[in-house]
Amino acid sequence: MMKRILEYLNKHSKVLRNLFFAFLLGAVAYDFFATRHGAHFFGDSIMGFWSVFGIFGCLGMIVVCKGLSHVWLEKEEEYYDK
Amino acid sequence: MHPATWFLMGAFFLPVFKRMGLMKVVLIAVPLMAFLQIQWLPESFGQVSYLGIDLVFGRVDSLTRVFLHVFTLMAIIGCVYGLHVKETGQHIAAFLYVAGSLGVTLCGDYLTLFIFWELMAVASTFLIWYRKKKRSVQAGYRYLLVHVAGGLILLAGIFLRYKNVHDLSFVRIAAQGATTADYLIMIGFMLNAAVPPIHAWLPDAYPEASVTGAVFMCAFTTKTAVYVLARAFPGFEALAILGAVMTLYGVGYAVVENDARRILAYHIVSQVGYMVCGVGIGTAMSVNGACAHAYAHIIYKALLFMGAGAVLEMTGKSKLSELGGLYKRMPWAMIFTVIGGISISGFPLTSGFISKSMIIAAAGESHRTILMLMMTLASVGTFLSVGIKLPYFIWFGKDSGVPAKEAPWNMNLGMAIAAFLCFFMGVYPEYLYKMLPFPVSYHPYTAYHLSETLQLMGFTGLGFYIMVKKLTPAPKMNLDLDWFYRKGARVFMWIASRPVDAVNNWANQVYRTVGFKMTLAFARALSWFDWEGIDWVIDGSARGVVKGGDKLRTLMTGKIQQYIGGAVAITFIVLILVLLV
Repeated sequence: MMKRILEYLNKHSKVLRNLFFAFLLGAVAYDFFATRHGAHFFGDSIMGFWSVFGIFGCLGMIVVCKGLSHVWLEKEEEYYDK
Repeated sequence: MHPATWFLMGAFFLPVFKRMGLMKVVLIAVPLMAFLQIQWLPESFGQVSYLGIDLVFGRVDSLTRVFLHVFTLMAIIGCVYGLHVKETGQHIAAFLYVAGSLGVTLCGDYLTLFIFWELMAVASTFLIWYRKKKRSVQAGYRYLLVHVAGGLILLAGIFLRYKNVHDLSFVRIAAQGATTADYLIMIGFMLNAAVPPIHAWLPDAYPEASVTGAVFMCAFTTKTAVYVLARAFPGFEALAILGAVMTLYGVGYAVVENDARRILAYHIVSQVGYMVCGVGIGTAMSVNGACAHAYAHIIYKALLFMGAGAVLEMTGKSKLSELGGLYKRMPWAMIFTVIGGISISGFPLTSGFISKSMIIAAAGESHRTILMLMMTLASVGTFLSVGIKLPYFIWFGKDSGVPAKEAPWNMNLGMAIAAFLCFFMGVYPEYLYKMLPFPVSYHPYTAYHLSETLQLMGFTGLGFYIMVKKLTPAPKMNLDLDWFYRKGARVFMWIASRPVDAVNNWANQVYRTVGFKMTLAFARALSWFDWEGIDWVIDGSARGVVKGGDKLRTLMTGKIQQYIGGAVAITFIVLILVLLV
């Protein structure tokens, strides 16, 4: 049963993607209505701050970590066995 | 009775029970009894005075209780998951390991702590060795050596502290006026908490452990360390900063690593970072957060290790580059692992949402904005690496065609229990909050917190969607600080085998040709000196000794009865003297 549900979802991946984008819009929209109290720092009073933080944080992390890995840290799997 | 006794007795008699065909019963009964028993523990028990030192085996307060609760609960889940394992030794090692962890959690003095601390290190080494691959044997030795070194630092700290304060009781140490001794103890604890730069043992050893061994290990060593840090060192600034650094350090490696269990191991470093940071901030709310997060983390990280372990057990593979498309063949393991993944990322209605946010909010309330943002960034990386990347490349992505079946029922049951607990705590946070050491006034389900989380998770997902090609794992590994001792050991071995050995051989050669003859000549000279010199100087005394010897000889008749009689007589005289005086 589980397999069939997953295969059905896999077949309709376009729909899923559009639902995901709709969810993103909804999340940002919700931020305009969410009541805020006790802001800890300036970001807490900017609408959609965490969306920007999320996307740039994620992309930045991928670029920095993958970059460091490629130019410096990445080695063959048998590196220590040689 | 000490709850560790159940596990020690269980470990001791397990071979007997196996003969009787009762091993599986014992494997469930022992942790279950311990789990039930900890509810009834008295405030303090097991005080022993040994060599003038008061050992305290049982000291129970609210901080102890929350850790005892999750440790015994985890032991039940781990034993269910490992029920199919036939090797008694692996179960014995796991039992001893849990016993060590419970011993550390309950102890009230540093000596008892040290004994159980070392028991944990040794027992867990066997959990690595039981994978029985060459790599795991090597990794096990490295793990043991690092932990023995850490144990020695801890012991040095304990001794120095005893010299300073003449007290071994294991209580809170004030941040002001902490001495070298206290910092040595802290370093010993930090090594087990895998705080960089002394963290590399963890991602080195855990991926090489046996399937069930890793499930146990991910729960106990680091979280016992969090407990002892929370007990002795709350409010130490070094912990707050290092903890926040840890969260990013671990997650950074988790983003680039390829082996599923290595990703999860690095991710332990990241998650324990939140707890260490919470302990370091040191407010009631942040220490509460550290305990809550330890509780929630043990369950969902074990769930993730169980999921990755089930894949490894069924396919023999754990590298993302060799897996993919498994959703058709192992859908249940997928569901459970994804639940672990969204819990660790802190989705609403899961345990991560109510525990991790507590530490981040505590950092915010103490006006530690930078720490707060570092931890928030780490939770973005968490969702990226463990929430999306790991399940995506195992269960979706390109179909690898790796043959696989569903895991045995007991593995799925273990995962199901853990998955249920993840949701249970998320939906009903009071269950966790009322166990915490301080009263809780924090409410996780506010509109703003919900909005923040949904945005962070959603846009991290978008980031993954954009960069998925860049994240495709390659069969590579990344250097970490274990490089220093793994390559350093090679330099040591090279020096030992080449220059030292060469010098040794050369010295041998020199000795054989030159030294031997010189020794003989020297001996001849000495013997001449002995005959001609010494005898001439002390001739008189030598003659005196000869005379005395003659007199003594008349006393020594060589009859054993007389000797015994003499000895008894002397003993009798001594006794009388002692009694009278």
